[in-house]
Amino acid sequence: MTDARKPQGDRLSESEAIERAKQGDAEAFQVLYDLHKRRVYSLCLRMTANTAEAEDLTQEAFLQLFRKIGTFRGESAFSTWLHRMAVNVVLMRLRKKSLPVVPLEETVETEDEAPKKELGAQDAKLAGSIDRLELQRAIEALPPGYRSIFVLHDVEGYEHNEIAGMVGCSIGNSKSQLHKARMKLRELLKTSRPGRTEKASKP
Amino acid sequence: MTCGEFQKILPDIMEGQRKAEHAAHLQSCPACSGLVSDLSLISEQARLLQASEEPSPRVWNQIEIALRQEGLIRQPGRDRSLVPAFSRRWSLAWLLPVAAILVIAFGVTVYKGGRSQQIASNRVAAPVAMSLAANSNDDQQLLEVVGSRTPSMRTSYADNLRNVNAYIRDAEQTVQNDPNDEEAQRSLMAAYEQKAMVYEMALDRSLP
Repeated sequence: MTDARKPQGDRLSESEAIERAKQGDAEAFQVLYDLHKRRVYSLCLRMTANTAEAEDLTQEAFLQLFRKIGTFRGESAFSTWLHRMAVNVVLMRLRKKSLPVVPLEETVETEDEAPKKELGAQDAKLAGSIDRLELQRAIEALPPGYRSIFVLHDVEGYEHNEIAGMVGCSIGNSKSQLHKARMKLRELLKTSRPGRTEKASKP
Repeated sequence: MTCGEFQKILPDIMEGQRKAEHAAHLQSCPACSGLVSDLSLISEQARLLQASEEPSPRVWNQIEIALRQEGLIRQPGRDRSLVPAFSRRWSLAWLLPVAAILVIAFGVTVYKGGRSQQIASNRVAAPVAMSLAANSNDDQQLLEVVGSRTPSMRTSYADNLRNVNAYIRDAEQTVQNDPNDEEAQRSLMAAYEQKAMVYEMALDRSLP
């Protein structure tokens, strides 16, 4: 084949695809999409807990990326650039819908949102494993503010300083909300599996 | 150290700031050690959810359509009127879906022109499009050529065609149920456009 395309069996590398996408090559766009679609879509789905909205946001994130691809100079990793863009698209949507991206430090938690205090209480322990599906469901059941911080930190692997910059809160707030999110998840997981917890006795 | 004191600083402990007194408390307190191991487990399992979901093929279809409409996808140095050249290289049977696409495009144009024309256009476009949705021979032929030129794309196009055909069937059913439903008519035309777009993309990709 003499033109710019390669046979599909020999797919373009990411860097080749970026350069060709800048020239408007259709296959290059699809290669980039295929490389990153799962991560971007999963992020959108976890953050919104809504399939249709996650698809819409995935589309929006990739379109924003492809529109700006001519400005990508490769100083930062392409995946970092894309995923940060996807996070921004999701956070923007949550803000438009007036959903809390992160609970404010001053916010008084409602009875429903606040993880139950466990000080000194005899406590049931999760029995050593968590099914992926039940964790997914528990994350979906988190209040949106907790969910954002938890997904960004524990699922996507962002550090607290990065999260603070993205969502506009302090590092301390990010840490505190993450802890509350994990506590709430533990509580949700325990209530969803009454027969599958172990009693942890007090000394 | 009491459980209350321990749990107060638990967020920092989970961040790795663990001192000897914390370790001592964990060793002596099953409740707090259970809590720490649960929170660690949740955190570890959460990482497995990264990139765990596959978006529907519809997402890429929409992206590609938007890229084409915005002119971000450019044809690599070729004349857009390649149908005759293409047909010389490939089977004349290709003219069938190409013609169908043109008729659909015509139908869409007329539809956009006005409601009275819309009814007429639907009458013209619908049977052709229905044949596109229902006639798997054209789809099969398309997949064979795509597969012969770019084997790794065959599955992707098969998914695209399956989805768009399902979309057309649903839209046709809705229009049949209520022929005066303008929203349903718009959905049907959008479904036809998507199918035409899939064929157009395949033609572009299959060019030598």
